[in-house]
Amino acid sequence: MPLTINRRIALILFVIAAIYLFLSFQLPNYPYAPVDADVIPKGLGILMIILSVALFFSKAIETEAEKEKRNIPKKELLVLLAVFAMIFLYILLFEIIGFVIMTAIFIFFCSWFLGYTKWKSNIIVSILFPLGMYVIFVFALGISLPKGILPI
Amino acid sequence: MNAFDGMITGFQVALSWEGILFVLIGVIVGTLIGMMPGLGPISAIAIMIPITYGMDPAPALVMMAGVYYGAVFGGSTSSILLNAPGISGTVATAFDGYPMAQQGKAGKALAIAAIASFFGGTVSVIMLMLLAPALSSVAISFGPPAYFALMLMGLTAISSLSEGSTIKAMIAAVAGVMVVTIGIDPQTGTQRFTFGNVNLFDGFDFLIIALGLFAIAEVCMLVLNRKNRSLSDDQKLGSLKVTRADLKEMSGPMTRQSFVGFILGVLPGAGATIASFISYIFEKRISKNPEEFGKGSIKGLAAPESSNNAATSGAFVPLLSLGIPGSGTTAVMLGAFLVLGVQPGPLLMTDRPEIFWGIIASMYVGNIFLLILNLPLIPYLAKILSIPRPLLISLVIMFSLIGVYSISFNVFDLYMLLVFGALGFAMRVFSFPAPPFILAFILGGMMEQAFRQSMTISNGNLAIFVNSPLPLSLILIAFFSLVIPGLLKWRSRRKLANM
Repeated sequence: MPLTINRRIALILFVIAAIYLFLSFQLPNYPYAPVDADVIPKGLGILMIILSVALFFSKAIETEAEKEKRNIPKKELLVLLAVFAMIFLYILLFEIIGFVIMTAIFIFFCSWFLGYTKWKSNIIVSILFPLGMYVIFVFALGISLPKGILPI
Repeated sequence: MNAFDGMITGFQVALSWEGILFVLIGVIVGTLIGMMPGLGPISAIAIMIPITYGMDPAPALVMMAGVYYGAVFGGSTSSILLNAPGISGTVATAFDGYPMAQQGKAGKALAIAAIASFFGGTVSVIMLMLLAPALSSVAISFGPPAYFALMLMGLTAISSLSEGSTIKAMIAAVAGVMVVTIGIDPQTGTQRFTFGNVNLFDGFDFLIIALGLFAIAEVCMLVLNRKNRSLSDDQKLGSLKVTRADLKEMSGPMTRQSFVGFILGVLPGAGATIASFISYIFEKRISKNPEEFGKGSIKGLAAPESSNNAATSGAFVPLLSLGIPGSGTTAVMLGAFLVLGVQPGPLLMTDRPEIFWGIIASMYVGNIFLLILNLPLIPYLAKILSIPRPLLISLVIMFSLIGVYSISFNVFDLYMLLVFGALGFAMRVFSFPAPPFILAFILGGMMEQAFRQSMTISNGNLAIFVNSPLPLSLILIAFFSLVIPGLLKWRSRRKLANM
């Protein structure tokens, strides 16, 4: 029996479901409820185990379109990881440095990294977008965004 | 309140200056976001939710409804001009719309799409006005067992109808409910799967899931397809003129498919995508010259366009009258209601008539706006398709991050947004449908509550779900909606094997 992609996913799901089920058996009891907090999780865990077994033994063959979707070049995957890393850095720093500066930096470098070469319009958008959003959120909607090191 | 008085209340909301302004903002933003290939109504609604904080619920929800049907309307533009549907509900639009554009008749195709959408939208709003109050008054008597069964039916229907494998759709749905169980159990106060992390006590906000699973996952797909064409400046639109003969040709499909679309929109699980495909196939079947379809047929363009818009308004019937979403998009719409402190359902019509009727009335206004906006402004609106992809990607990421941050001001939620974004991307890559996940996430908490209420009523006896006819029949429908498609697939495979 070859280990197709669906079978591998089924195995992962089975492990997740087993951990989930194990954790739901650890939930404390509350004596007066007819249906306690652990009933639904236990049911879900069992259902997921059944479904992952069903997926493992399912005879459905991957269609060409599905294979095509899965076929992502390594280089593109690295680009995607880099974008995620940039978002991560943004989240890490934006309460410290502030919304306006971090957003401007993010938009400029992310667009540039993804191949936007018109740097003049890139700079204009990178500055106007965060300023506009800041004004709308802070002054019009009353939602405070971290101002960070900027004195505004 | 009868439908007539109701509509007067509704038009008072929709035609106030605030109502008109927010309907207009909603349909414009919806159209623009819907046009962008890859970005659909779910992302459009989710991105707009933070803007509504602090607004009155009535104008805010009128605007969100505008975003929803505006996005479906806008999706057709990129289908026709780029052969890259903005949303899945307009895939069928590209079958005949894009060939027309290639023949230099893009303007005409856009005009036909706009007219057909307007027609479908208007017909179905009238039907929504008639059907939703009737359903509300019936639903008022539903007890928890009937509600539980209804939600179960909605969930199984969308799982069995999503594209691809039913097992994968069911896995997505179960995973969605699993995510809901994280946090403090509202009934007993037990902590479930929080690992003592304070950030998880309240569970996940639905906006994190909606923006992660849809907007961030769509961003990932956009990153991979960033080199795809966007609209070039010299693309000719051609004349927008629709002749009397064209109108005559499209009148048949428009009328028929508006009703088909509406009915499919009301049913749980179906929605705009399935409605547009069924309408396209339907028209092709009954056409005298089916060979024209796919080569720029006016009928083939008008049919899915009236159908997908009719389905959009149809989807509001179960949402407004039962409080139960029938699709991924209406699940996010329900989220928008809840964020604003409005619980849709049978009591909405009596408790908040201005919202119930305001939304319905605003759809008349919104559809007219869309028609006026789209016909003369199409050439200008289509310019948005020339936004460079890299810039679009950065901006969508920013909108999502701001949206999540402004609900909780908690950086932890932003990391979770990233996690659900990665999950949404993985689901796309491995062909797991995301709508059952978001629907299960929205319905999961309500289902658990209805289940436990039913069990409390019956003292723990499961027979409560089969003892009265309504829950029983709904559970049977739920069961058969899962089993029948599987059986059909199994039978067709056996037939193939025996051949």
